Amino acid sequence: MTLVLPLAIPWFAAVALAALDGRRPAVGWAAVASLAAALVATAALAIRVWTEGPVETVTGGWPVGVGITLRADALSVLFSLLTLAVLVVCLAHEVLSGIESRLFPALVAFMTVGLTGLFLTGDIFSFYVFFEIAMVSAYVITGYGGRPRQISAAFVFAVVNLLGSFVFLIAIAATYHVTGSLEMGQVAERIADVEPSTVILIAVTVFVAFGVKLGLFPFHFWLPVVYASVRPAVAAILSGALANIGTYGVLRFGADVFPRELEFSASALVVLGVITILYGAMQAMSRRTAPEVIAYSSIGQVGYVLIALAIGGPIGYAAAVLYAILNSLNKVLLFLASGLRGWLVGAAFFVGVISVAGIPPAAGFFGKLEVFRAAIEDASVTLVALLFLGGALSVVYLLQIYQHVYWRPGGVAAGGEASPVVLRALTFAVALVVLALGLWPEPLLAASRAAAEVLVGGPE
Amino acid sequence: MTSLLTQVVVRLLLAPTIVIAAAVLAKGYSSVGDGFSAGVIAALGVIAVYLVLGAEQADRLLPVRLAPVGAIAGLLITLVVTFSSVVRGEPLLTHAPPPGADVIHLGTLELITAVAFDVGVFLLVFGAVVGILRTVALARSEAGS
Repeated sequence: MTLVLPLAIPWFAAVALAALDGRRPAVGWAAVASLAAALVATAALAIRVWTEGPVETVTGGWPVGVGITLRADALSVLFSLLTLAVLVVCLAHEVLSGIESRLFPALVAFMTVGLTGLFLTGDIFSFYVFFEIAMVSAYVITGYGGRPRQISAAFVFAVVNLLGSFVFLIAIAATYHVTGSLEMGQVAERIADVEPSTVILIAVTVFVAFGVKLGLFPFHFWLPVVYASVRPAVAAILSGALANIGTYGVLRFGADVFPRELEFSASALVVLGVITILYGAMQAMSRRTAPEVIAYSSIGQVGYVLIALAIGGPIGYAAAVLYAILNSLNKVLLFLASGLRGWLVGAAFFVGVISVAGIPPAAGFFGKLEVFRAAIEDASVTLVALLFLGGALSVVYLLQIYQHVYWRPGGVAAGGEASPVVLRALTFAVALVVLALGLWPEPLLAASRAAAEVLVGGPE
Repeated sequence: MTSLLTQVVVRLLLAPTIVIAAAVLAKGYSSVGDGFSAGVIAALGVIAVYLVLGAEQADRLLPVRLAPVGAIAGLLITLVVTFSSVVRGEPLLTHAPPPGADVIHLGTLELITAVAFDVGVFLLVFGAVVGILRTVALARSEAGS
């Protein structure tokens, strides 16, 4: 029951909302309330998982491998909690600023269905199905606002990501072909007996599919266009909630299903991660508008997750999980703040800036710290130096855009009317959460270590 | 392209298409077929009418305006069936009555919750395909006029 509620609530909410006019504030608030209810249900599930261990059920009472396995472990509940929290905040933000489209709340609810579903499933094919539910809602949400820029952004986003989904589907077919199962645990067991040259091909295909979602270099080309053209709340949803598919997918498939291949390709991943960090930072430095800088910064930040994943082991995986979570919170904060005007907004943006740059007391400091720890554990001087360089560059480009937007007389933030105070308060609350996590990071650190243990232990 | 012949044939074909869809839906429990393929087959019949007669006339001929309602109703049916087993204390998607129990027969069709689930899937697929098609067709004819 605890496992089913986080899935059932958004499903029924999505169907009910699809029939209602989402432009009415009451409907919007009902959507926020139902997502918040799903968040509470997920929190209950998370507490059970953290205290009693993974929760698992097979649909229809079938044996494993025949029925669909639903599984909640420390990694999946952590990502579900994060994603739901992000979606609640972003939807509340959009309701407060006035929803323009009748279907927006329903689409966010459908996206929630897809995201919680894919985090809580232990079956690769239903992972794909939930993934598509989330992606299809995302294509429509990207076009939200209806201006030509947004429509063309939605087009780019849909085309590139459909290609990514297609590549993923091929990888699933190949996995089934060589293992005869799509249950993650069974696949992980049987894949060890398959010829390595076949498996590495499948693993690379899966990696490319998630690389496209995440906007990793060299699959990043779609990301800046999309993030800089859509509305701030939509950009926050895409980078804070939807991009979690990529990080969760890379972690789950890389460390859990294909651990041998992950180890084998570790150096390639480190190289790719370093290029991603430096490329994102260099591009971000050359931009002058906040959404573009944040978009390139989010390309760069994914590189840290990749490097931590490549280092592997309990420390590396914990760092990857922690960094992914903090990165998504930072992006939500920065994107929401970039769309607002008035006092408190600059402060909220600044908290996001120091969090991305990894300056205490913001939570981002611990993300950077853990990745550094993992690199030191790996005893690689070059890697530590390159990570430091990446961090230094992020300080430069973020403080530059902060100055450019909030300090310059006649800057973007100076002109125009102030945004409604509730919107600013909501964004500032996100900033306070980032600060609070920086001042009291133990629960988050413990949760990411628990998630890493799932990956290190492998499937039960 | 649309001669009198195609216009007549497409109207005549619609009823058999729906019957075939119903047959595919019903026989899914003993041989190949299910709500999804039935929905696609039924939608193909409607698509043919759209192609030949155009959006306005098809709208007058068929109750396609209700397609989104059908899709939402279908989704709701499948969700209720999916989650009702949890309320009974069984795993998700467990169908009732259980295997071996006495069930009501309707010809060869056994009335079990799996049938309701598939009817929901049929409505969802059929409603969604027709609804999307209608939106595209109306947008095109608006752009054309």
